[in-house]
Amino acid sequence: MFQAFVIQALVTGGVYALLAVGFSLIFGVARMVNLAHTSFLMLAAYGMFYTTYRLGLDVFTAILISLVATVVIGLASYKLFIDRIREHEVTVMLITLALATIFQECMVLAFGAHFREAPTLIPGFIEVLGVKISYQHLLTIAVVAVVLVAIWLLLTRTKLGIAIRATAQDTEVANLMGINVSQILLIAMGIAAALAAIAGIVVAPLWVVYPYMWMNPLVMIMAIVVLGGLGSIKGSVIGAFIIGLVEAAVVFYLPGGAFLRGAIALLVMVILLVVRPEGLFGIVFEEERL
Amino acid sequence: MKRFFLISFVSILIIALVLPACAPQQKDVIKVGVIGPMKFLEGEHHWMGAQLAADEINAAGGVNLNGKMYQIELIKADSNEILSPTDAASAMERLLTVDKPNFVVGGFRTEGVFPMQEVAMNYKTIFINCGAATRALQMKVAEDYDRYKYFFKGTPYNEYYLVNSDFLMLGMVAATLKKQLNITDKLRVAIVAEKLTWADAMVKTAEATIPKMGMEVTGVWRPSDTATDVNAELTAIAATNPHIIFPTFSGPVGVTFSKQAGEMQIPAAIVGIVVEAQKFGFWEATGGKGNYVMTLNTYGPGIKITEKTIPFFENFEKKFGQPPAYTAATYDAIYIMKDAIEKGQTLDADLLVPIIEKTDYQGTSGRVMYYGMDFDAKKYQAPHDLVYGPGYVTGLGLEWVDGKQVGVWPALGIGSGGWEKIDYPGIQPYVINPAVVEKFGQPAAPAAVE
Amino acid sequence: MLRRLFKDIQGDIFAIPGRLIAFIFLITLFFIPLLTQESYILFILILVNIFVIFAVSWDFISGYTGQINFGHAFFFGVAAYTAALLSKNLGLQPWATIPIGAVAATLAGMLMCLPALRLRGPYLSLVTLAMPLILLGVIKAFPDFTGGEHGISGLPALAGSRMAEYYIALVAMIVSVFIMWKLVDAKSGFVRIGIILHAIREDEIAARATGINTIRYKLLAFIIGGFFAGLAGGLYAHFLRIAGPATLDLMLSFQAIIWTVFGGIVSIYGAVVGVYILFPLMELLRQFGVPVWPGSDIMFSDLRFLIFSFLVIIILLFMPEGFAVWVRDKLERECPRCKLSNASWRKECRACGAELH
Repeated sequence: MFQAFVIQALVTGGVYALLAVGFSLIFGVARMVNLAHTSFLMLAAYGMFYTTYRLGLDVFTAILISLVATVVIGLASYKLFIDRIREHEVTVMLITLALATIFQECMVLAFGAHFREAPTLIPGFIEVLGVKISYQHLLTIAVVAVVLVAIWLLLTRTKLGIAIRATAQDTEVANLMGINVSQILLIAMGIAAALAAIAGIVVAPLWVVYPYMWMNPLVMIMAIVVLGGLGSIKGSVIGAFIIGLVEAAVVFYLPGGAFLRGAIALLVMVILLVVRPEGLFGIVFEEERL
Repeated sequence: MKRFFLISFVSILIIALVLPACAPQQKDVIKVGVIGPMKFLEGEHHWMGAQLAADEINAAGGVNLNGKMYQIELIKADSNEILSPTDAASAMERLLTVDKPNFVVGGFRTEGVFPMQEVAMNYKTIFINCGAATRALQMKVAEDYDRYKYFFKGTPYNEYYLVNSDFLMLGMVAATLKKQLNITDKLRVAIVAEKLTWADAMVKTAEATIPKMGMEVTGVWRPSDTATDVNAELTAIAATNPHIIFPTFSGPVGVTFSKQAGEMQIPAAIVGIVVEAQKFGFWEATGGKGNYVMTLNTYGPGIKITEKTIPFFENFEKKFGQPPAYTAATYDAIYIMKDAIEKGQTLDADLLVPIIEKTDYQGTSGRVMYYGMDFDAKKYQAPHDLVYGPGYVTGLGLEWVDGKQVGVWPALGIGSGGWEKIDYPGIQPYVINPAVVEKFGQPAAPAAVE
Repeated sequence: MLRRLFKDIQGDIFAIPGRLIAFIFLITLFFIPLLTQESYILFILILVNIFVIFAVSWDFISGYTGQINFGHAFFFGVAAYTAALLSKNLGLQPWATIPIGAVAATLAGMLMCLPALRLRGPYLSLVTLAMPLILLGVIKAFPDFTGGEHGISGLPALAGSRMAEYYIALVAMIVSVFIMWKLVDAKSGFVRIGIILHAIREDEIAARATGINTIRYKLLAFIIGGFFAGLAGGLYAHFLRIAGPATLDLMLSFQAIIWTVFGGIVSIYGAVVGVYILFPLMELLRQFGVPVWPGSDIMFSDLRFLIFSFLVIIILLFMPEGFAVWVRDKLERECPRCKLSNASWRKECRACGAELH
C-alpha cells in the first residue's frame, strides 16, 4: 500500500510538472498569466485525436503535426492579439481567457462536446513493487526529465537562453543592451506553447479529450506555479511533486474523500503561501517587499 | 455617441425581443419547445428524439384536435445547462414568453432543471423532464400541487429505483462469476462512486446491502465527477484485490475510469452505472479499453422491450446514423402529449394535467404510467414520476463486448419479485472479462461442466 | 429652489457628456417597464442589474487595490448559500436573508483577506482563486446540509411580480453602485478612502511611508466589496430561487473580470457599461437561429460564445483601457488647471476659462 502511494505521488507529480513548466516559463519571461496555456494542451490532444483516428496517420507524423500546429497557433495568437497590448497586464490575461474560449468553441463546432481519446503512445503497463503503472505514465516522467534538462541547458548554455533570462529579470535594461525584447517574448511564447503541446501529446492519452478539458488542470497548474514561486522553474517542479503527494495521500488514506483531493491540495497551497508569501523559490524584488 | 449607442442598443434589444412575439401565429400548429444542452450529446438526442416523433406524427396527418389535424412544430432552445444554470433559466424564460410553445420537453442537469421548472410553472406550462432522475424535482409536485402539477417525468425513473436495478444487476453478475468460475470464498466488491448527491444514496445502500448479499466490501472511493486522472484510485482499488468493481458515474470520470482500468487490465468485473458507457461513443472515447464494462441503461440495440423499441431504434439510426441515448425519450413524451391532447380535445394545460396523470402508454422503454398524489413515500415513489418495476419501466443492463453493446440483464429466471419472469427477446448471457477468469478462475468441478 | 436644482443639473450634468448619458440611461431604466411588460426582457434586465452589482464590486476590490481577485464568486456563493440556508431552515423572507447573506459575504471577505495581509500580486490572486474551489469541496462533502450538486432549491421569490422584482433589482443596483462610486471618488470630500485607495494603487510603498496603514485599507476594500458582491448573490438566489454550486463557479469569477475589463477597469461605470452591453449581447446572439450560410447545420446562435470572445478581443485590442473609458476619453477632457471635466468639443474650461487642448 505504501509503495503504491509513493509511486502514485511521483506519477501525479510528474504529470503536473510537465504542465507547469511551460506556464512558469512564459510568466517568468513575459510576466504574462497565460490562461490559454492548457488550451494549447487541448489543441494538441485534439490534433492527436484527429490525425490518428480521423486521418489514419501514424503516430510520429501525428505528433509532428500536432506539435507544429499548436506552436503555430500559439505564435499567431501572440503576434496578433497579445504583442501590441502587453503593457496592460489584466487586459492580456483577459485576452488569453477569451482565446481559450475561442479554441474551446472551435473544438465544440468541429467535433462536438463529446468525449474523445488521444492514442496511447506506448500501450501496456509494468508492475513495480506490485503496483501497476502504465507505460504512458512512465513516459510522462521521462519526458519531464528530458524537458527539464533541455530547458535548463537552453537557459544556461545558449545565447538565446541568456537573452531570455535577461529579459525576465529586467525588460528595459535588456532592451538597452540590444536584446530584441519583442522577439525574445515571441520565442518564449513559442517554447511555452511547444511545452504545452508536448504535455498534450503525452498526458492527454491518460485523460479524456473534450473541449472543456482545459479548465480543471489550469487551476492546479496555477496553484503549483504560485506555490513554487512565480517564474521559478525549479520551484514549479517541486511544487508539482508536493501537490502530487498531497493528492495521492488523500486518495490513499481518505478514499471516501477522494473527490476532495483538488480542494485539499489548494488548501495546502494557501497554507504554504501564508507561511512563505513569495512561494518556495520565488524571488522577492526589493521594491515589492512590504 | 455613447448615448446614441446605449439608446439604440436598448431599443434594438426591445425590438429584437418583442417582434418575434408579435408575429402572427399560425393557427393549425401545436408548438413543442425542446430544451436541452444542445451542444452536448444529451441535448442533441433530446432534439433528435423530438424530431423523429414530430416527423412521424406529421407524416401521419398530425394531431386530431376538434376535428382538425394540427401539425407539430418543434422549437429548439439551447439551455447550456451543463455549463450555466443561469443560462438555462434565461433560455426557458425566452422560450416560454417569446416562442410560447404549448408544452416543453427536455432538461438534463438537475441544477439546471430546478430553475427551468420554476420558470415553466410560473407560466403554467406543461414541462416533461427527459433527463434528470432526481426525485426531489418530482417531490415539488407533492409540496405544492397547484403550482407544480404541470411538471412530469419523461425519463429516467428516479435515483432510488436506479439503485434498486443496480443491485439486481450486481446480484446477477455475482451469481454468474461464482457459478462459472467456481469461486468458493466470499466475493469482494470495491465501491467507487463520483461525489455527487445522487451517488450518495447509492453508496449508503451499497455498504448496507452488499454484505447482506453475501459479499464483502473492500472499500469505498469517491473521486470527483470530473476527475481527469483516477490512476491513484485504481491503484488503491487494485491493491484490495476485488472480484467486482461497482461504479456509479454520471460524469466524464466514467470514461477516464473505464479507460484507465482497461489500460492497466485490472482483473475485476465492472458492473454498475456508467452513464458515459450508455452512449454509443464510449468505445471510441476509451479507445476500446472499456471492454466488458456493464452499465444500466434505458434501452439498447436489438432488445425488444415493447413492440415500439426496435422500430424506434431502427428509424432513429436510419435518420441520424447513431443509436439513441436515453434523453431521446422526448420521442415518447411527445406521443404521450399527443394522446392526451386527442383524448381531452384541448390544449389547455389545466385540463390536460389530469389526463396525463392517467397515462397508460406503451413506450419505447416500457409501459409508462405515473404515480399520483397517493404515492407511497416509503417506496420512494413521487407524484408524476414513472411507475417502476416488472411490467412497467425496468431498464436494461448493457455490457460492452468487443465494440458492441449487448443486453445482458434482466435475464429470464434471475431475480425475484417478478424480475425473474421478465423475458425481453434479444438478451444474451453475461460475458466474463478474460482477465477475471485468468485471475480467479478455479478448475471446473465436474458437475458444472455439463 | 427648483430653479437652483435645475441650474445645478444643467451645470453638472448636461455640461458633461458622460454624466448626461448616465442620467438619460438611469431615467430610461426607470421607465422601461412602462415601455414593455415583456417578461423576458425584464427577466434579462433583472439579471443584468444583479450582475452589475457583482461586477462593480469586483472593480472596487481589484481595480482599486490592484489585487486581481480571481475568486470573486466566493462572496456571491457564500451569500447565496447563506440566504438559501436561512430561508430553508428558519423560514426567513428575502428582506431578511439577503442582507444577512451580504453580511456573511463580508465575513468571507475578511477571511479571504487574512492571507492578503502577507501576500500580494499574483500570489494573492491565486489564493482568491482557490477559495471558492475549496468551499465547493466543503459543499460537496456535506450534501445533507447543502444539497450537494443540486443546491438548495425552492427559495421564496424575490417579490410577487416580475415588475416588482425589476424595481428591487434596479434600486439595489443604483444604490450599491452609487455608494461604491462615492467611496472611491478621489475628489470626494465625503470620505477619505477614495484618495487613499488611489494612493495605494499608484505606489504602495510611498503610501506606507506617509503613514497610511495600507493593509487596513485593503482589508476595508475586501470587506465592502464582499458585502456588495454578497448582496448580488442573495438577490440572484432569490430571483432564480436556487442556490447551487454554479454560484461558486470559476467561470462566474472570470465573468466579473471580463465584464469589468471590457468596460474599463478602475472606473466603476466601466463595469456597469460592460455588463449592460455584454450580458444582453449574449442573449441577443441566442435569438439568431439562422444558418451561418444557407443550408448549413451551424446556426449563428451556436456561435455565440465564439462571437462574444472575438468581440471582447477586438475591443480590447483597440481600447485596452476598456470600452467605456475609451468613449469617455473621446467625449471629455479634463481641465489642466482646475481638474474639472469638460466636453471634448469645448475650447475653454467651463469653470475657470483656461484654454483646453
